[in-house]
Amino acid sequence: MAAAPDLVLDSSLRDWVLFPILLVMILVGILRHYVTQLLQTTPKQLDLLTIREQQALSRGASLRGNGKFIPQSSFLSRKLYLTQAFKDGIFLKDQEAFKNKDEPKQPANPLAEPGGMDQMANMLKGNMVMIVPQTLLMSWINFFFSGFILMKLPFPLTIRFKSILQSGVMTRDLDVRWVSSISWYFLCLFGLRSVYDIILGSNNSASGGMDMGGMNMAAGGIPGMQPGQDVYKLHLSEAENIELTSHEYLLEDIEDRLLIKYDMY
Amino acid sequence: MDSKERQLAIAPISTESLTQNTKAVYYIRSVSSTIFGVAAGILGLESYIGFLFYFAGTTYISLLMFLVLAKGKPSEYFTSSSYVWTGNAFTGLTSFVLTWTMFYGLVDA
Repeated sequence: MAAAPDLVLDSSLRDWVLFPILLVMILVGILRHYVTQLLQTTPKQLDLLTIREQQALSRGASLRGNGKFIPQSSFLSRKLYLTQAFKDGIFLKDQEAFKNKDEPKQPANPLAEPGGMDQMANMLKGNMVMIVPQTLLMSWINFFFSGFILMKLPFPLTIRFKSILQSGVMTRDLDVRWVSSISWYFLCLFGLRSVYDIILGSNNSASGGMDMGGMNMAAGGIPGMQPGQDVYKLHLSEAENIELTSHEYLLEDIEDRLLIKYDMY
Repeated sequence: MDSKERQLAIAPISTESLTQNTKAVYYIRSVSSTIFGVAAGILGLESYIGFLFYFAGTTYISLLMFLVLAKGKPSEYFTSSSYVWTGNAFTGLTSFVLTWTMFYGLVDA
């Protein structure tokens, strides 16, 4: 503190500005967590044929992934059946449309599919839950708590931050370490995440939107299934994948391995 | 299938356990960094010394995780054995700055 004279802050600043902002930020985070949970829609019930069409793909994937646990003959029979079934399109939802494929098919609109609409609404809701409280809080703080110094940062900053962190304070030479309430707001915004972790347990949605990965996983059903995609093409490529899979029976010499493991050989 | 791939197929890595372990590290990091922030604020540390305090504390927590939680063998719990030391080392920094600033201000005032 060489340049600026020491300031003494009134303790009612602490009681009526610092603590209220902290408390409100924590409560808004908790509220955001519960609102996000309330807004999450349960996935729509699909009819039997649609589910079969989607699950057929994961059936092929699980054969490719776990085929090593079944003997060669079982693997081969499944492989033959699935590839043939995929090629004949017997898992497809719309058998009629598959049979007379010659007529030109207009590309499906992703918005028309019920799944795509849901996904978009979910994303919109997530953004709203994140943006609305932030805007409200920021204008609240700007309206009531601007124009004075609230606290002193324990670390020095460069002069560039002065206009942001000391907004509304009309002093030219004050050290940047003295900051106004808007910077306390930003500190809370970024730093409260671990407080939420302690209060709500990990995997909460209080800090809002910084981890979008989890939300997208929950919204989309089967990975790799975009709405408006030609399902028959997906089935064909799955058949090709299965055909390319080589098989090695993993339990081939299981007796020997077990005896070696327990030292009884 | 070469021998390593075969070994991995016989004893596969459980993704659930891996997620659980990663989450535990994350939780420990964020809680401990909050507490370090409180300590740094009460001690009245300033600028570089405060950040050095954070890194020293994080390294100490890493050492504890390495010795107590992973029992000296982090490769049994994580895919990369350096995760105990470096994983999520910076996630707690913002929380640290928050509590550091707050308690620095409270003690100062």
